[in-house]
Amino acid sequence: MDQIGDLLDRPRLYYNIDGLGELGGSVTCLGFAVLLWLLIHSPADSVWHRISFFAFVALMLLIHYGTKAVKTRITYPRTGFVEYRRQQQTAAIAAALGALAAAGLGVVFRRHWDISMLASLAGLVFAAAYGYHFAMAVRWKLVIAGAMAVASFAIAFLPADVLGALGSDSSAAHPDRAKLGGTILISLMVYGTMLLISGGISLWLYLRHMPVPAQEGQ
Amino acid sequence: MNQQIRTIADLDRVIHEPGRLMIVALLFAVERADFLYLQHETAMNKGTLSSHLSRLEEAGYVAVTKTYRGKVPQTLLCLTRAGRKAFEQYRRNLKEAL
Repeated sequence: MDQIGDLLDRPRLYYNIDGLGELGGSVTCLGFAVLLWLLIHSPADSVWHRISFFAFVALMLLIHYGTKAVKTRITYPRTGFVEYRRQQQTAAIAAALGALAAAGLGVVFRRHWDISMLASLAGLVFAAAYGYHFAMAVRWKLVIAGAMAVASFAIAFLPADVLGALGSDSSAAHPDRAKLGGTILISLMVYGTMLLISGGISLWLYLRHMPVPAQEGQ
Repeated sequence: MNQQIRTIADLDRVIHEPGRLMIVALLFAVERADFLYLQHETAMNKGTLSSHLSRLEEAGYVAVTKTYRGKVPQTLLCLTRAGRKAFEQYRRNLKEAL
């Protein structure tokens, strides 16, 4: 029965066989980091504040269609095409987690709770999710999951003035707000970079070991 | 014959064959997949995979669609409703038998 369970799990693992799942996550994290940095460090009347929503939508579309295009050209000719079942349950869980995270940030900000603790907790959740989704299939990625967990603690112990400088464009800004902005910004950059490295290695290994078969049809 | 042995005798023989079981389990988890994907995941050669797919198609468990990806022919496969029900029943029976 366990072997049947393993087979049922194969398509989920196949999604990241080429590392594109991680590269998509990396572009999301780094893209959000750039957008956030522009929002924090550009004047309130700058163009970035007016088009930030459109930039966010454009980033999402780029990731969705970009991944699809790369899979069509690289993955499907090598190891085959898969269309996944629409799982409403997964989408509902993701939406609920997103709402919970937003609510958590709101409460932390209003009550001035320790942002460092929240940063390490969020980092550990991120590392665990990465471990479950990617590292269970490919063992060397457990090193990346471990590095993410360590990074989540390292970010929490960064000096407040460093985080404040990253998260604010002026000394007059509220210190908690600045620290929160800096924590989110540096977390996105660190996790985005780790996903980029891990996804890049996976893609390189995939291209190296999976040559395109002769185009003789199926 | 006791209940457990009867359950073993009731196992769907079309699905019970290891090669076909792999194919059905892989297709159960997706909406549809192509021949190349199944070949990659099951490590079967084209002939063996084709023969198993024909058997599953005859039983009405798998639907086969021939199409093109660019200029290259592509065979898309998906489990039919009967195939999904049969696999679910097979898993229930196997669980009971074990």
